[in-house]
Amino acid sequence: MAIIEVKNVNLTYRVLKNRTGSIKELFRDAVKGRVRILNYVALEDVSFTVDKGEVVAILGRNGAGKSTLLKILAGVLPPTKGTCNVSGKIAPMIELGAGFHQEMTGTENVLFYSALMGRDIKHVKERTPAIGEWAGVTDHMDFPLRTFSSGMVARLAFATATDEQAEVLLVDEVLSVGDADFQGKSRARMNEMINGGAAVVLVSHDMNAVRTLATRAVWLENGHVKMIGNPAEVVAAYEAN
Amino acid sequence: MKYAQLIRLLVNRELTLRYKRSVIGIGWTLLNPMLTSFVLWVVFSFVFASRLPGTQQYAPYLMAGILLNTFFSQGVTISAESIASNGPVLTKIYVPPQVFPISTALAGLVNFFIGMIPLTIVCLISGQSIAWTMPLVIVVGICLALLTAGIGLTLSIMYIRYDDMRNIVNVLLMILMYFTPVFYPISILSPKLQQVIQMNPLTSYLDIFRWAFSNNASATVSDWVFMFSTSALSIIVGTIVFKKFWPRTVAML
Repeated sequence: MAIIEVKNVNLTYRVLKNRTGSIKELFRDAVKGRVRILNYVALEDVSFTVDKGEVVAILGRNGAGKSTLLKILAGVLPPTKGTCNVSGKIAPMIELGAGFHQEMTGTENVLFYSALMGRDIKHVKERTPAIGEWAGVTDHMDFPLRTFSSGMVARLAFATATDEQAEVLLVDEVLSVGDADFQGKSRARMNEMINGGAAVVLVSHDMNAVRTLATRAVWLENGHVKMIGNPAEVVAAYEAN
Repeated sequence: MKYAQLIRLLVNRELTLRYKRSVIGIGWTLLNPMLTSFVLWVVFSFVFASRLPGTQQYAPYLMAGILLNTFFSQGVTISAESIASNGPVLTKIYVPPQVFPISTALAGLVNFFIGMIPLTIVCLISGQSIAWTMPLVIVVGICLALLTAGIGLTLSIMYIRYDDMRNIVNVLLMILMYFTPVFYPISILSPKLQQVIQMNPLTSYLDIFRWAFSNNASATVSDWVFMFSTSALSIIVGTIVFKKFWPRTVAML
């Protein structure tokens, strides 16, 4: 059963040429008929599906449209054309800790981040000590986040994001969180979630990770799907390119 | 509603975070309007106190004006900014973006209600008693929250699209304050100018608020009509504008 279904997705950013963001200049240009809207095509006719328990890796150079695609999958950005259906709870692991606030304590941040992901606060409240312990920051949970080291913040964010089994995991280069010890732990937890039936979309430049983790790979180039299939083959073709 | 919990957390954060590192913390919410009112009272009471009609008192008149104006102008600026400042979250996790401006308006409402405590004290000191119509203040507060949220929703889209809006809005809010009888009695103005001031919806909100709290102004039926219609209009327009422009605006965050 396909959990993620991306069908003929197009995404066009409308960019103002010589965009200044100032009303005065916009007005001046409009009067002179100089406002030009450029359509920047970030994704064109992208289609693929992800089934339960599948790990799909997205490859591509910078600017190929990987992040845009993740945003569409996360439901943040509506596609200009085409449809993107994602069924089930999403755990977005894109720039972990995006909802964190420096002045709030570890505990408050865990609650807040979970609420942003649409989780039940009552349940999270009970889970908070366990989340802190798993991240190895139990002693710091009642202090403001600004007193945390950046590694501690990343660990807490990872622990919070993966605390509940999700149907969909969107991962953007987060496998390298923390020290070697924690990396092992986080990889184990990822596998746990995949085995628990999550559909995973993974964006990574780490070809080894793609080869070992992914069950399928999608190669994006300039917003188009250049190749889709067996990860070993796609990686080989991508690296040869 | 699934996001009610998030809104509660956001309102809480809004209320506590501003004073998180200060000693008396949320006590500033009580102290701020008192201090502002006191300063303005010292400056203006000579000029305006004797110009109020009947049994009206200047100190509570002034403080009510400041509480309402702070609610409105702070609510508008913060909620208009809330989408842009939460951009990093909104581009990564799906959250209905409207929760941010709405939470800001609700936090303003809570602050406004907290402000009723010092206002009561000032009323009693001035020798006034709290009117039996006082519970109607809740209606005024809710209407003002809707007005603020609606304007905030509309502006939050414009803030992302045009950087200039921030400055324009700040100036407009300042002008609007002078066109609202916050610290002067409306009777000191010429009849022509009074008509202009009456066209400002905030004047109606303020008249009703002062009248309801301690019978410190007069409010007419048309004030009520004006208040209800502007708050409803604001939230409806704000919601529609936001819905319509958000899909294209989010790509600019």
